[in-house]
Amino acid sequence: MSGARAYACLAVAVAAAALSACATSPYKRAGNAGEVATALARSQPRPPAARSLAFLVLEGAAGPRVAAYDLAASRLVWTQPGVVTTRIAVGGDIIIHGSNAPVAAAAGGPAPAVVVARDIGNGAVLWQHALASGERLAGYDIDANAVYLVIQKVGATQRGTTGSVVALDPRTKAVRWQHELPTGRVAGPAVRGGLVAVPVDSQYVILLDGASGSELAQVLSTAEAATFVRGLPEGMFYGSRGVFLLAPSTARGSRQAPGYLLAKLPAFVRPFYWYDLYRPEQAQYSAIDRNHILWRVAVEGDRARFRDDTVVVHDYRFLFGFDATSGALRWAYSHPSDAVASTDTGSVIAFVSSDGDIGAVDRVTGARRYQARLPGDVVRAATFDADGFSPTLPAAEAGAAPDVVATLGAIVADPDKRFPDLKLFAIDEIGRQPGREATGKLLEILGGRGLPPLAVQKTSEALAARRDTQSADLLAAALRVHADYAEGRTAPPIDFLARAVAALGPSGRSVWPELVAQLRQPETPTPAAAQIARALIATGAEEAIPALRDFLTMYRADPAHDADPSALIAVTEALLKLGGAGDRRLLLFVAEEPHTVAPLRAHLVRALGETDPGAVRTATRD
Amino acid sequence: MLVRSVGTAIALGLVLGATSAPAAETKPAGEAKPAKTKAAKTKTVAASEAGKRALPAARLDSLRADLAAEDDAAAIAAATALGASGAANAAEPLAELLAAGAAAGRTEAALDALGKLGGAGALTAPRVFEVLDLYAGHRAPEIRQRAVKALGTVKDPRATTTLLARLGDAAPGVRASAGDALAARRDRVATVRLFALLKKSDAGAASPLAALAGPDMIPQIAELAGSVDDGVLATTLGEYAQRGDVPDRLRLEVVRTIAKLAGAGATTALVEYIASVPAKDDRPSKREAQKLLDERETVR
Repeated sequence: MSGARAYACLAVAVAAAALSACATSPYKRAGNAGEVATALARSQPRPPAARSLAFLVLEGAAGPRVAAYDLAASRLVWTQPGVVTTRIAVGGDIIIHGSNAPVAAAAGGPAPAVVVARDIGNGAVLWQHALASGERLAGYDIDANAVYLVIQKVGATQRGTTGSVVALDPRTKAVRWQHELPTGRVAGPAVRGGLVAVPVDSQYVILLDGASGSELAQVLSTAEAATFVRGLPEGMFYGSRGVFLLAPSTARGSRQAPGYLLAKLPAFVRPFYWYDLYRPEQAQYSAIDRNHILWRVAVEGDRARFRDDTVVVHDYRFLFGFDATSGALRWAYSHPSDAVASTDTGSVIAFVSSDGDIGAVDRVTGARRYQARLPGDVVRAATFDADGFSPTLPAAEAGAAPDVVATLGAIVADPDKRFPDLKLFAIDEIGRQPGREATGKLLEILGGRGLPPLAVQKTSEALAARRDTQSADLLAAALRVHADYAEGRTAPPIDFLARAVAALGPSGRSVWPELVAQLRQPETPTPAAAQIARALIATGAEEAIPALRDFLTMYRADPAHDADPSALIAVTEALLKLGGAGDRRLLLFVAEEPHTVAPLRAHLVRALGETDPGAVRTATRD
Repeated sequence: MLVRSVGTAIALGLVLGATSAPAAETKPAGEAKPAKTKAAKTKTVAASEAGKRALPAARLDSLRADLAAEDDAAAIAAATALGASGAANAAEPLAELLAAGAAAGRTEAALDALGKLGGAGALTAPRVFEVLDLYAGHRAPEIRQRAVKALGTVKDPRATTTLLARLGDAAPGVRASAGDALAARRDRVATVRLFALLKKSDAGAASPLAALAGPDMIPQIAELAGSVDDGVLATTLGEYAQRGDVPDRLRLEVVRTIAKLAGAGATTALVEYIASVPAKDDRPSKREAQKLLDERETVR
């Protein structure tokens, strides 16, 4: 068989196989915008919640418990004993969560998953649904009409594994319907307005009718995996690295779609928009609940944008409001202890801390808008059912928007060592803030102790980069501090301060006395002395010439500078640039005097020749 | 060599003009009010005599040439000779050498020589203060220490500021020399910083503080017992007790405080106090010190 003929046969075989695959593909409907439009048209968004509740997972001396806290009334509604293994979901008048089956645990085997439904009014267990042997719970969601479970039946092989959605009556657990999914690779669902969305096979989202279980449409995410689906009052969303508003235009999701959202955020932020519903461990309360992005969306037809152009980053003890488009920091809030859970109600960012603080800050300004306390309990996790919660503190307690510079400064100074990247971000952000306060804060950070070298470096760079000509006096004050053993005082980071002065150019000239005083200090390290000389050049501080001469002559023959003549060289450069004919004569003397350290002599001979050979000759004749 | 065509004298002249400390405020040494102590009076006389003594011009030029020569040994010998001369004009070549800069050996020799001249009351030129003040901030501790010692002998009130600053030096030897110099100058303003050093158990602060502390400071010093090194505290109190201007009832309290301290330092302080008192002087504090010393030996 000739090569060409063999190729033709192969092409035919591949095409036939592809056609065969198309004929049997369960995703023939994927990406059909019309079907998605129809499915969305049938979806009726839920009315705003008439309640503002936080469901708390408690632990401590009283054992594992579940509690409901009424945010509006600031009171605990009920507490019930119970182990919570997977995240609480709220819908209608019940809550559901995962738990362990105590019987199997007692038998010594692995505890199978149990879905527990509780009455939202008193927390009493309504029913429990134990998964059968070989079943794995991929996830669940709930609305007023049903509890939707996505169950994976694990087969002997990957192909033998199947998935299904089961709808249970919320009060009686009776099976309403069951829908077999086309694959065993399934993820947890989301429901909104009677439309159930289930991610499958990484790229697809199957849309089911919540009332009947019939398949309405399929979404194909072409640009990135669809690892989550999320129902919000403003729409149904899916995505992974970014967020797609479910709409006809995103039936075949691409990042160019008007419903695609991706916030611009700084490097320290983990780009986590919602839980990866394929991963069972993310169904559990974990560190993810303390470190994620909070977002709400303004929807206009197929178009979406982050509400108020703001996304909020929850990073353990800290909340940051960012401009979603520019990535600019709008506000920062620091809490004394880790917030174990948070939610964006559309008006405020509500959170619960591990030690029982329940708070809320304005999602646009960061101002404190709610505070309550649940004393004596350790809060392990929480789920909010508080959409639209928009509290207002009494005037006497209402806080102003937090001072960004002060908050960022506190983050940098915080002894908690878990957040090195966050500290670097905070330093950068302080550097971007206008005004003397920010310069003062950076100086305060530099003057502090125990900061990692990288953070010191970053602070120095931020200080120099801001070129705050109005704050030369602050730099001078910082440089006025000298090391003193008697007073237990160490020297400031002179090289960094000198660098910041240099960045001011002529505006930093007023700092020359402090620079000179540091140049004369015995503790001033060689690199710092070199930096001082450079700063004096940059600022044009001719007043410093006598001190430069002193430094040069005192150390020119000091063997300590033989190995590292950088300070001496920088000083000679300063004298060349700032000084006059007399200084050139001095440099000539230093260059020719045999006791001068060799590297300096070599440099001077070259530098003097390069700058003005004629002047050298003139000087020698004088 | 190019520099020779410029001329060392010219270069040195340039360099000498380089020191930046303002000279206008300098009070001529002769105008400085002498301390009213016996030692101070002696020094004043010495200074007066030194002022009359001067090296012949030829000798001075020879030594100056040796200082600038390439032979280190000759330069150091010249510096030593200048220092030993006690002559009023001997400081100038040494100051020139320092102002022009030199390797460590020559620098140290020049500073030592200036210290000797200062001890003889022969450091009067404002330029000397400026050079020593500069070298008191040298990066090498051994050079700083020598500069501080020499600076302490300069009759210039500006020296006090530098000496006080050197009490905060990172090098213990420099701190100790600064303390000694301030004590010798009877600069009581140093007591606050010396007390701060004592609180850090800095041994170098003991003697100067003992020399300068007023009676009102003794209770504060005594209260440091238990929080600072017993030996350093005992040395401070012991040397204070030896001062002639201390009332004996205060000495009595001081020796009792020393006796409460542990260690050989306290025993030594008591022994040295007793030894410092003339045999025929039977003051109560001496008897008490002896009694307390006997008790310590009995306990031992």
